[in-house]
Amino acid sequence: MKKLLVILCLFFSLTASSQCISNQSFTIAPLGPYIPGQVVTVNYTLGNFTGINVNWIHAFQINLGAGWTNLTPILAPGNPFGSTGNWLWDLQNTYPSGFNFGPGWRFVNTGNAGWGTSSSGPFTMSFQVTVGQTCTPDNLNISIQVFDDCITGGWSNGNCCIDPQYNIYNGVVQIINPTTSNINHY
Amino acid sequence: MNYKENKQVLLALFITMIMMATTVFTYGQTTINPDTVCANATGEQYFVTNTPTSTYQWTITGGGGALQTGQGSNSITVDWGAVSGLYPNAVEVIESNAAGCPGAPVLIDVFVLDLSGNPIGPFCAGDPTTPLVGNPAGGTWTGTGVVANAFQPSTAGVGNYVLTYSMAGCNTTINVIVNNGPVTGPIQHY
Repeated sequence: MKKLLVILCLFFSLTASSQCISNQSFTIAPLGPYIPGQVVTVNYTLGNFTGINVNWIHAFQINLGAGWTNLTPILAPGNPFGSTGNWLWDLQNTYPSGFNFGPGWRFVNTGNAGWGTSSSGPFTMSFQVTVGQTCTPDNLNISIQVFDDCITGGWSNGNCCIDPQYNIYNGVVQIINPTTSNINHY
Repeated sequence: MNYKENKQVLLALFITMIMMATTVFTYGQTTINPDTVCANATGEQYFVTNTPTSTYQWTITGGGGALQTGQGSNSITVDWGAVSGLYPNAVEVIESNAAGCPGAPVLIDVFVLDLSGNPIGPFCAGDPTTPLVGNPAGGTWTGTGVVANAFQPSTAGVGNYVLTYSMAGCNTTINVIVNNGPVTGPIQHY
């Protein structure tokens, strides 16, 4: 009995602080570093989402450094064996919890509003983003954050609240100032 | 030095010459700072090596200079004023690349050269040689009757002449007259 209690305590301890996301991967083309005006395509896959305590997945947020501009969706995540609804590209959305989301994809459950999707993935998506015209080495970081019920307020049995953001690129805009020759006089 | 050392020195010299030639080819620098222009010169062309995706902002300061054509491009024309003197940083260009990022300003000083020649004459055909004086000094006189920056009326002979004073590509002229001497008749006895 004592052993069973220890095992149960250990299980709940682990689940209460566990990450729900696993098997993340990405491709980015072309590879950095980047100069102003370059267009970059990112493919990101979340291999598996394990909704501990029935915490369903709600959204993929794309975090961009200030040097990026013109974020454009190319491929929305799939919803294998998930709830009825669709992934909506959204620049901004405020959830019932007050959490301010965006930009990225968020799932709109058409059967039960605010529930997210029961799918465990895999979720593959892609987007394009452009390096802004700048003369300063602005931040070009790219990361993805996954949000679920715990963050959105869709389900009060909180879990999956500590999934860290997934870094895709860290760098700054490469600035190449022109070098002018000497002045000549005919 | 043995043969091998000589070979190394020659190789280093060759590489240095190639690098110098490459630099000249890349930037085409031929104008020495300060640049010299003639007073009241018009349509003087200034240029830098062109980068097609860049734009160029030129500024003309002092010397009575005024930009005439080419603002935004790598080549401009300038008209200069009449007041002689050295004008520091008279021509400035700032290149901006396609992203609008500016490079470092590039400048050149300009010396506006206003030549003048002291008038001489009129002469008689037999007058002695007279030195020619130009301002500023250091230029060269040319023309009929000019020998070693001096005017020889006897060499020129009777007539009107235009003498030219030249320096650094600039010219100015003076007019000189050589008259006939009086023709005296034979002595008469009343």
